[in-house]
Amino acid sequence: MATARPGWSRRAQYGLFFGLLAVIAGIVVGLVLLAMSLVAPKTFESIRGAALDITGPVSSALHEVNATANGLVGGAGNYWDAARQNADLKRENKAMLQRMVEAKAIVLENRQLKATLQLRERSENVIAVGRVVGSSFNSPRRFAILSVGSKDGVQIGMPVRSPDGLVGRVIDAGMLASRVLLVSDRANIVPARLLRGGIPVIAQGRGDGTIDVRPLEVGRNPFKRGDIIITSGTGGLYPPLVPIARVVKLDDDGAVALPLADPANTSFAIIEPAFEPAAVAAEEAPSPDSP
Amino acid sequence: MVRAALASRRIGHGPVRFAEFIPAATVIAASLLAALPIVSSTGWYPDLGYLAFIGWRLLRSDPWPAWWAAPLGLVNDLFTGYPIGFSVALWSVTMLALDLIDRRTMWRDYWIEWVLAAVFLALDEWLQWSLAAAVGANVPIMMQLPSLVIAILVFPLAAWIVARIDRWRLGR
Repeated sequence: MATARPGWSRRAQYGLFFGLLAVIAGIVVGLVLLAMSLVAPKTFESIRGAALDITGPVSSALHEVNATANGLVGGAGNYWDAARQNADLKRENKAMLQRMVEAKAIVLENRQLKATLQLRERSENVIAVGRVVGSSFNSPRRFAILSVGSKDGVQIGMPVRSPDGLVGRVIDAGMLASRVLLVSDRANIVPARLLRGGIPVIAQGRGDGTIDVRPLEVGRNPFKRGDIIITSGTGGLYPPLVPIARVVKLDDDGAVALPLADPANTSFAIIEPAFEPAAVAAEEAPSPDSP
Repeated sequence: MVRAALASRRIGHGPVRFAEFIPAATVIAASLLAALPIVSSTGWYPDLGYLAFIGWRLLRSDPWPAWWAAPLGLVNDLFTGYPIGFSVALWSVTMLALDLIDRRTMWRDYWIEWVLAAVFLALDEWLQWSLAAAVGANVPIMMQLPSLVIAILVFPLAAWIVARIDRWRLGR
């Protein structure tokens, strides 16, 4: 369109010129849309949800195929290896029995500790159970696609967890699928505390699958390798006492932790109601972390 | 002329039906690859829609009317979860910039095309990074580097696939 003069034909010249204008119009429209989606992310909520509904079921189906193929291959391998596995399992079983006795003691101790701390046991009300079927695989943001949507009762702002730990929270909800802001996203800041000692900390994603943890109070670095970080429930977005991550590396004033719920291996994701709906409403108004 | 026509072993092979829509359709298909059940915790996969887009545009100057870049970008934004408007603006700018570059370059070969593609892919990664930073996800820019290197290395493959599709489309 912006190439050199195509000849003496006025018609061809005008055609090129209007083509150029159309592209410039495209750029302007794109920039306006971009500004709108940065300033008022809720504008495009429904259209984003609709797009999720188109790809979500496809991802779910492909995920199913993938899981089946993996299962078949794994199953055949297990059969092949049965004798050695049997021996291994027997050995593991013996070790487990010892562990169980230890665990019972720990449970007793835990119960006493909880009683002294007056921890309120959360009622396990589950909105929906879905699977992680996809992710943002080419962007600095960390999102995952869940196979459940508003048809199952999922709403924007609901926390998502797996049996292993916290996954993130819903930021886009279509009818059939939803998008989750993972705990490893840079914009996801989770009020947390150390399981050992209960020191309040802040967990913030690093965008590469790991999490930065920092103590709220400046002072000695309280972390040790292997420490478990759990949610504190402060702020009301996430329910308390959900494990988030395990510390793997210390740095000068905090630590790097690995999420306990690896979205790539999470079999089920549980969507729970927002811990305190008022907090969600307040958070949603000027939400800076929605794309 | 007669000899040229007879030299072709495949008489009656012309462009396939809807040949002029096939480039745009392949770009949409590449954007839809975002539906693959890939769960990545690093985000090192390339921007597949954009790879196909610049692959086509570097192969031909008119794979689609220039203004189609905007709707194609919108499709990419919707399926990949980018902020809406990002690909609309970037892809339109790419069309305009490559037209201007076409006026300046005297000749083109594979290396120049690869360098051009690398520049546009780097622009894409950098814009994604700065947009993420603008909405509160300011990761270190070095984290985008592996993703960029992978995208640049994958580009020849994308260009090859595009060239094959183009030959099939034109019945050559």
